[in-house]
Amino acid sequence: MDACIEAHGGLVWSIVLKRVRDRSAAEDLTQEIFTEIWKTSGRYDPSIASESGFIAMIARRRAIDWSRKQQRLPEMESLPEKADFPAPVETPGLAMDRDSLWKALESLPDETRKLFTLHFEQGLTHSEIAESTGLPLGSVKTRLRRGLLEARALLGRLGDRLNLNPESRS
Amino acid sequence: MNVEDRWTRFEELDAGRVLGDLDAAELAEWQELSRDFGSDDALDQLAAEVEAVLILEKPLVLPPAVAARLKREFAPSPSPAVKSTGKIVIGPWLGWAVAACLLGLLVVNRLISSQPPTAEQRRSLLVEKAADAKRLPFAPVGNSYSAAKGEVVWSDSRQEGYMTLSNIPANDPAKRQYQLWIVDPARDEIPVDGGVFDIPAGATSVVIPIDAKLAVRNPAAFVITLEQPGGVVKSKQEVVVALAKS
Repeated sequence: MDACIEAHGGLVWSIVLKRVRDRSAAEDLTQEIFTEIWKTSGRYDPSIASESGFIAMIARRRAIDWSRKQQRLPEMESLPEKADFPAPVETPGLAMDRDSLWKALESLPDETRKLFTLHFEQGLTHSEIAESTGLPLGSVKTRLRRGLLEARALLGRLGDRLNLNPESRS
Repeated sequence: MNVEDRWTRFEELDAGRVLGDLDAAELAEWQELSRDFGSDDALDQLAAEVEAVLILEKPLVLPPAVAARLKREFAPSPSPAVKSTGKIVIGPWLGWAVAACLLGLLVVNRLISSQPPTAEQRRSLLVEKAADAKRLPFAPVGNSYSAAKGEVVWSDSRQEGYMTLSNIPANDPAKRQYQLWIVDPARDEIPVDGGVFDIPAGATSVVIPIDAKLAVRNPAAFVITLEQPGGVVKSKQEVVVALAKS
């Protein structure tokens, strides 16, 4: 499990910290996510998902659930601890295996790609994206949703099944 | 709306579900439509792949203190087998692409498969450590499953629970699967999906972890139904197997 934490800790932490800006809660949630990875690792099927995709799906679901829970609780303001964020590092080694997905992403309209970057990479909420882009909130939601469906259609046309794992390609 | 319009609407709502942006009205609409169209994990997987690809361009680093805490949590005692696999992780390039794949999930999973606590052990731990752990017995429901026995243990604070079940017939997962529902009136009138599970042939007593898909605050009842493979979004409760009420 140490190797898994070493390999995917950054990915999980990135996903969590984008949505959970309370540092202590983020640490607890990260532990819950690795517990789930531990419990469910036997279900991992490299013919269906890349390893990072498998890990990311678990982390996303847990983080989204956490956000939903918070929305039902009385409002609790937490200050983002940006000063503590570690510097990003480069992670070479997987670029070749992400080609299919990159091709699909690059085929998307510029505006959709921008929204994807703001949502998936930078972790902005839909309201923050609306504020940042000047688009109405409803348009942000609709365009992100349609962008996701468009990406799926593009991948279908590219004939790929999101089979990004290097082992399954060799 | 005709079927095509309903499908288009469902697709849009399903994407919203995956993106985590459905409001209460949309969620209700999605649940209604998903009864007809099912739920598509592939879209979740696509969103996860997109997020992973974009994040892995410039991921944050897991703080060392958090990494150390996690490693302590998951490595109670170092074993020679795990140490020997550590030697394979020799380079940062392969470390991410290959060794991590092998070590992170597949090899380590096999090597330490005997180490993770069983569901029974985790259940015992929950009973021992969670002060708010509720224990509810399953009551007979008066049908062909009236011999079913068991108990639910659930902790609201930990959002963790287990069912101990006996005298429930084995199912063929390709045809039918058991599904748990958690009734929590404080949360919603629609029961929360507690996960699908199987009873293997020859099992006299099994411990099943509860996999609540949403937060449960104060469960009033736990209901086991028999459903189609993979479970359903909303049960018609045509076959109720067992019921535990607080």
